[in-house]
Amino acid sequence: MKTTKMTPRQKNEMLWGWIFIAPTMLGLIVLNIIPIFQTIHQSFYKTGDFGKGNKFVGLANYQKVFGDTEVWQALWNTAKYAIVEVPISIVIALVLAVFLNKKIKGRSAFRTIMFLPMIVAPAAVAMVWKWIYNSNFGLINNVFGTEVNWISNPQIAIYSIAVIGIWGVIGYNMVLFIAGLQEVPRDYYEAASLDGANGFNQFIHITVPLISPTIFFVLVTRVIAAMQVFDVIYMIIDYNNPALKKTESLVYLFYKYSFEQSKKGYGATVVVILLAVIMVLTVIQLIGQKKWVHYE
Amino acid sequence: MKKIKISTIVIYIILIFFAFIMLAPFVWMLLTAFKTTAETMQVDPFVLVPEVWQVENFSKVVKAMDFVKLYINTIAMIALRVLCAILTSTIAGYAFARLEFKGKNFMFALVLLQMMIPVQIFIIPQYVMVSKLHLTNTVWGLVFPGLVSAFGTFLLKQAYMGLPRDLEEAARLDGCNIPQTFLHIMAPLTKSSMVALGIFTAVFAYKDLMWPMIVCPDSKKTTLASALAKMSGQYSQKYPELMMAALISCVPMIIIYIFFQKQFIEGIATSGGKL
Amino acid sequence: MKKRIIALLLSTLMVTSLVGCGATEEAPAAAPAATEEAAPAAEAEAEAEEPTSIGSSVEGELTVTIWDEGQRPGLQQIVDEWSAQSGVKATIQVVDWNSYWTLLEAGATGGELPDVFWMHSNVAQMYMENDMLLDLTDRISASDKIDLANYYEGIVNLYQSEGKQYAIPKDIDTIALWYNKTIFDEMGVAYPDETWTWNDFADAAAKLTNDEHWGYAIQPGNNQEGFYNTIYSMGGSVISEDKKTSGFDDPNTIKAMELFTDMIAAGSCPDLATVSETAPNELLCAGKVAMSINGSWMLAGYRDNEYAAANCDVAVLPYTNDPSDRVSIYNGLGWAAAANGKNIDAAWSLIEHLTSKEGQLKQAELGVTMSAYEGTSDAWVNSVDCFDLNGHMKMLDAKLVFRPYSRVTTVWEDMMTEKLKEAWTGEKATADVCADIAAEMNAALAEE
Repeated sequence: MKTTKMTPRQKNEMLWGWIFIAPTMLGLIVLNIIPIFQTIHQSFYKTGDFGKGNKFVGLANYQKVFGDTEVWQALWNTAKYAIVEVPISIVIALVLAVFLNKKIKGRSAFRTIMFLPMIVAPAAVAMVWKWIYNSNFGLINNVFGTEVNWISNPQIAIYSIAVIGIWGVIGYNMVLFIAGLQEVPRDYYEAASLDGANGFNQFIHITVPLISPTIFFVLVTRVIAAMQVFDVIYMIIDYNNPALKKTESLVYLFYKYSFEQSKKGYGATVVVILLAVIMVLTVIQLIGQKKWVHYE
Repeated sequence: MKKIKISTIVIYIILIFFAFIMLAPFVWMLLTAFKTTAETMQVDPFVLVPEVWQVENFSKVVKAMDFVKLYINTIAMIALRVLCAILTSTIAGYAFARLEFKGKNFMFALVLLQMMIPVQIFIIPQYVMVSKLHLTNTVWGLVFPGLVSAFGTFLLKQAYMGLPRDLEEAARLDGCNIPQTFLHIMAPLTKSSMVALGIFTAVFAYKDLMWPMIVCPDSKKTTLASALAKMSGQYSQKYPELMMAALISCVPMIIIYIFFQKQFIEGIATSGGKL
Repeated sequence: MKKRIIALLLSTLMVTSLVGCGATEEAPAAAPAATEEAAPAAEAEAEAEEPTSIGSSVEGELTVTIWDEGQRPGLQQIVDEWSAQSGVKATIQVVDWNSYWTLLEAGATGGELPDVFWMHSNVAQMYMENDMLLDLTDRISASDKIDLANYYEGIVNLYQSEGKQYAIPKDIDTIALWYNKTIFDEMGVAYPDETWTWNDFADAAAKLTNDEHWGYAIQPGNNQEGFYNTIYSMGGSVISEDKKTSGFDDPNTIKAMELFTDMIAAGSCPDLATVSETAPNELLCAGKVAMSINGSWMLAGYRDNEYAAANCDVAVLPYTNDPSDRVSIYNGLGWAAAANGKNIDAAWSLIEHLTSKEGQLKQAELGVTMSAYEGTSDAWVNSVDCFDLNGHMKMLDAKLVFRPYSRVTTVWEDMMTEKLKEAWTGEKATADVCADIAAEMNAALAEE
């Protein structure tokens, strides 16, 4: 069977495969892939204004990035955010999804409530949380009698931001897990309960492996999204906040360089670094999935 | 029987706890929406519930923003984006999951690549395309970046990969060709994932701020989110009106979610019965 | 059979979507795919055509883009007057501050800017140097309505590059001292007036501080609403005239900065954490602070806040040795047009109307802002009942210093904001921080 010639069936699959992905790929290439390569290209230039008069500088931007402590600090901030936000939100959402996939009273109300944070306008989210965290007038310090600078203490601020992230994303993870659970054939559970497995064992030995493709999807997309955190930080951490340096993320830096300081080339370099980090993380997960993700 | 009861109680306690956390900021929004501006800034005494419910905040906001038009624009954009995303992602996801063809891995790498780049990169190039196509201040301009979905392609690919192979084999032996197998056997089984994709596409489209602002600066042609951001203005802070506007603009999303959720529950009946 | 038909349909649908154009009528479902494939082709086609302006769906209609929703109704009224005369329709579109600059940049990159729009000191130089803005020089000299001598000089100069004028001043802002009358009464301190020096100000702040409130809250991020005024009042500077060197190592600059850092250290001004979480104007509106230095653009916010309207008022800024060194750092927007606009003559005519004496008078009268045409702002004082706006108006008679800028102001301003945090928190001596800022700023200016 080592012939290079394809069987009619293979030919058929090839044809339909390409037809099926054609609309998506064409759209992605025009809308996204070309701009991405333009960005990578830009990172080798000292950019002029409005895309004119770019000067080729080779690896100079990269050399500068590697010596730039602000970039490294931002990478570390981003990593801290992701390390807190991703696992906690996944575990909470998974538990909630399993509960809310059972036939219990008020299920649909609970599902809607858990989803609510997803649909609040970002500006409103920032405003609400800023007030909750405010050290003088905020809800937490006033109700619990604490005196913590939740969003202006450099040691704490990034974790306070991560809490907002978790709050906002549980609904996302949960909807995906529910969708995954819906697609799990019911007879697996029936077999399991006949075997006398209890709830927790069922969860670990049946539920988790069966929806592992969904968990994998959530993990990969959440890591990518967490590494791109920007909005919350931009809206909550004022630029005169003493915690800014310990909370600004890579995308925040990119935004600052490219859009506020008109250094497009250097901004592009920061994005390429971010892209490299995300790629490494994703490849590790793609390889690692063989150990724990069960496809049929 | 007793054991079940205890576990049910535990489940409810956990659910109520998280429901409380999820709701608390929301409740505060609701309360703020009916306060006076002075009350929102008051610390001593700490004002949680408005002294007099400022119902006129509602009419103020409704007067300031043409919600009917904004709803129509937003819903049109959401509907088109959801339709596009589900259509293109389902077929592409199926191909990536179940068909063997040359170049597949490379193409899928491109899909992932798109997700790894912060969206801010795309705004300027996409805007240039839209303005060259003369689609600014149109619904198509709003829909433009959402014509295809890398996220959806990945999501549906995962969904198809989770389905048993033997179903397809059986269909093939029955004489179904690839499109038939896909359309009649496989696609219906991933309904829940399609619904999930629909929900997310809707949510992301609804929350998208900078794109509608730039591509549809005309206040009659834009979306709720961007109108809201404009209202918040650069300097004046009128929290109650803002919160009221935010609340009013949430309503269609809650309805969309509840509608989709029905699909979720129906999903349990159909796919559960079929397999 | 039915299955086969569906499959056939599906495949035609996909084929048509691959072929591209014209699929819309036959198969609605394929429309999205078809559109996006048509995109590159249509793009190339459009490139050959003449550039058109953003969103002007109707021929001969002008698009005017601004970033402040609060000013839109008033400005639209002035624009409508112009439309009645000229017969050309013009609509004002509002885009929020961040998106505004992205929109302009995208427009400039793609060659399609709005017809008429606002320019700001942060980026004016960049747009002028790249010929994005319509050169107004000849039109101004031919106009009987516009004479640049009538406008505040700093704003006129701001929109000049290599002897050409690219925008006409729209408005001017002044900085003044906002204060809470109730707290002053309660603490038995006389209201601020034109006799106050900066030292009186600091003393009053100390007297106005107790467990309930602070005397003054600094705005650490917005230098125009704070220490810049003091620096120039005390004889220091931020940047040299030729924009080549920093003024932060000037002893007078350091003295001005120390006025504020001392207040924070003494507790009459809240610490950095507090003001970074709650802005001084919010603190003023909450009765937590007795004084706040703010720009005239904050007026709408105070006017619409019931507490501020009932308890607050505004006075001129203090001086240092003599009333003649009372300084207001000012800035002003300019009306500009796209260099490659579709209807340049109409765009110019609109700008001419907006910046003519009439237009500027109307702008002040409607309470939109103070106007950049000297002597047209008197009406603005009466646009609000609850405050005595003479506090802001009289600052026009003070020494007006234009907000320090260079080609890429944001680069060194961001650095300065960041470095100053060490001074506000007291981690490092103010003089040392100022020396650091001067060094880095000189380096940044050398790179420009």
